[in-house]
Amino acid sequence: MGFIPEEWFELFYKKTGVTGPYMFGVSFLTYLCSKEIYIMEHEYYNGLSLAILCIVGVKKLGPSVAAWLDKEVDDYEKAWEQGRVQQLEDLKSAIEAEKKEQWRAEGQSLLFEAKKENIALQLEAAYRERLMNAYAEIKKRLDYQVETQNIDRRISQKHMVNWIVSNVLKSITPQQEKDSLKKCIADLKALSATA
Amino acid sequence: MMSNLFSVFDPSTSIFSLSLNWLSSTLGLFLFPFSYWLIPSRYLVVFNSIGGTLHKEFKVLLGGSFKPGLTLLFVSLFLYVVFNNFLGLFPYIFTSTSHLSFTLSLSLPLWLALMFYGWLNNTQHMFAHLVPQGTPGVLMPFMVCIETVSNLIRPGTLAVRLCANMIAGHLLMTLMGNTGSGLSTIMVSFLILGQICLLILESAVSIIQGYVFAVLSTLYSSEV
Repeated sequence: MGFIPEEWFELFYKKTGVTGPYMFGVSFLTYLCSKEIYIMEHEYYNGLSLAILCIVGVKKLGPSVAAWLDKEVDDYEKAWEQGRVQQLEDLKSAIEAEKKEQWRAEGQSLLFEAKKENIALQLEAAYRERLMNAYAEIKKRLDYQVETQNIDRRISQKHMVNWIVSNVLKSITPQQEKDSLKKCIADLKALSATA
Repeated sequence: MMSNLFSVFDPSTSIFSLSLNWLSSTLGLFLFPFSYWLIPSRYLVVFNSIGGTLHKEFKVLLGGSFKPGLTLLFVSLFLYVVFNNFLGLFPYIFTSTSHLSFTLSLSLPLWLALMFYGWLNNTQHMFAHLVPQGTPGVLMPFMVCIETVSNLIRPGTLAVRLCANMIAGHLLMTLMGNTGSGLSTIMVSFLILGQICLLILESAVSIIQGYVFAVLSTLYSSEV
């Protein structure tokens, strides 16, 4: 019934069934009243009016008051929760920021790679340029040597030819000259005969 | 114990003429909520809101002489008086606040303490209070007399106001209830209706009287 425990009702069920406890209650109250153990004086009527007032009040105002109180409790709980949730969110965003910073730092290493490559390229270029310079210088010197050798040979050849020719010319006797001229004429005659 | 002309109407519990009636003043303690957990229950929210609202009110009333924790006395006074008043409306519960001995023992020590403290420590200030601001010079002697008398009857008024209000309500309820036994059924329903109206009034009065008691104590303490 609201304020009487269920166990007291169940005590009766086996012996008397479902109406047992109610019968017992009503007859007990009737006994008290008829034997004037409980007297219905002013307290009884006060209690009756108060009971009606309380029941009507709870039924009418109960749900709205309960809803308002529940809202207050929820607000209180949310305020506490808010602190915790706020901290969680702050920490999460701090984690995100940290990750971003780490990604940026990785990007730095890429930069380093690029710079290293750049410098390597520059070094390579400088090396090749100097190599070319060295090659050109050496070629120049070797060309010079070659040229001098060529000139030497040319001059010595020219000199040798002149010397040989002069010696040959010196050694040609007039008899040899006449013989060779006769031979040439005979050859020519033979050639002209066949042609 | 006849502490009161109307105490014949009060339920009386006694062991060998030691009156156990006054134990009903402790019933209010059973109605306090438990605040074990961090999140308040519905009942605790009601208490906290009442306490908080009262604290704000009394803080404003105390004005400049507010010290942290001063409103505790008046909030607890309010709760005590309201509990005792309201529980007295229930059948078979003794209303302690309807007896002058009880209300006087609440108001007299409070007033005496304030007076002793004020007059011994801030004598000049207390004398100055006897003449309100803006009185014409001619009226000043009379104002002193009037203010002194009003000061002296303060504990009496506090006690008697509460006591008389409670007695009046309870007396009406009791007298109405006593006629119930000799009436026909239809008349009994009218009686119940009338008693319900009276009860609503009585509940309001019990809370209001408690509030008045606490507010006036606050005001008296702020004048010290």
